[in-house]
Amino acid sequence: MKPTVEEIGNLLALKRHERPEDGYFDGFVREFHQRLREEEARQQGLAGWWRKASAWFSDLGASKWAYGGGLAYATVVAVMMTAPRGAEEVSSPAPTPVSHEMKSVPPAAFEQLDALDLRPSTQGSTGEQEF
Amino acid sequence: MPDDSLQPDPDVDLVARARNGDTRAFDALIHKYGEKLYGLVYNMTSHKEDTHDLLQDIFAKAYHSLPRFRGQSSFYTWIYQIAVNMTLNFLKKRKRRGGLSLNELDASFQDDPALVDASHLANPEKQSKLHELQKRLNEAMLSLSEAHRTVVTMFDIQGIPHAEIARILKVSEGTVRSRLHYAHLHLQSKLQDYWE
Repeated sequence: MKPTVEEIGNLLALKRHERPEDGYFDGFVREFHQRLREEEARQQGLAGWWRKASAWFSDLGASKWAYGGGLAYATVVAVMMTAPRGAEEVSSPAPTPVSHEMKSVPPAAFEQLDALDLRPSTQGSTGEQEF
Repeated sequence: MPDDSLQPDPDVDLVARARNGDTRAFDALIHKYGEKLYGLVYNMTSHKEDTHDLLQDIFAKAYHSLPRFRGQSSFYTWIYQIAVNMTLNFLKKRKRRGGLSLNELDASFQDDPALVDASHLANPEKQSKLHELQKRLNEAMLSLSEAHRTVVTMFDIQGIPHAEIARILKVSEGTVRSRLHYAHLHLQSKLQDYWE
């Protein structure tokens, strides 16, 4: 059998007796204030940091642009110096061993040197040109 | 519940003082409306710890939003709107993370004399099944859509008139009545096999 709408309503109305225990809202308010204090402290922390940063920056006056420019330049240089450079490297071929073997001169070559007349000559026998 | 169109807001002074940083004035507002809001949130969430956390969030939101409160509605209507919206948002999130286990339901009102009487009238031979009735009622409530559970909580449990519910939810009175009608049909069918 279906309950009537009135019966459903009466049953649901009993749920309005569901209340927190006595004194609940005293503790609730204490917790609420604790929460507000924590939120305020957190916001003051953030606000304080921001205030200090703003004050420092505004104290710099006209030189802030120089500081800013210098900082930006230093950042760019630092980035360039720390960037990977693998692409620029050229791989060199593996070194081949160099041979220093001494070759003996054949005796026939010495004989040919001996046969040459290496004495100084004044008669232009060496083919000097005369003017 | 005050009717905004007929009476001035009785909390004008407390609100003005709270807005100027008088935390005692806001404490008075918490004590004045905390229990009503607790009933709203608890009957929409069926969970005590969620209710407590949500209520803290609701009052914190109201406290921080006081400078933007224009007084176009009563403070109670305004904070009730905050409570309904925040609770509905919370329920959507809870649904996404897996819903509520019925084991977590609070059974604190099963010893309520009024419930004992009602159970006795409805079914004299089954008084021992009070807990079952409470569980079934909560199950039936949780099986309602959020919109339907909201109007049932406000109308049947908290006794707020249709017009005020319409104002809080920013819908027409017809919409409120229609939602109530379908919610009651749903609850009737859910409790049908228990009701002998």
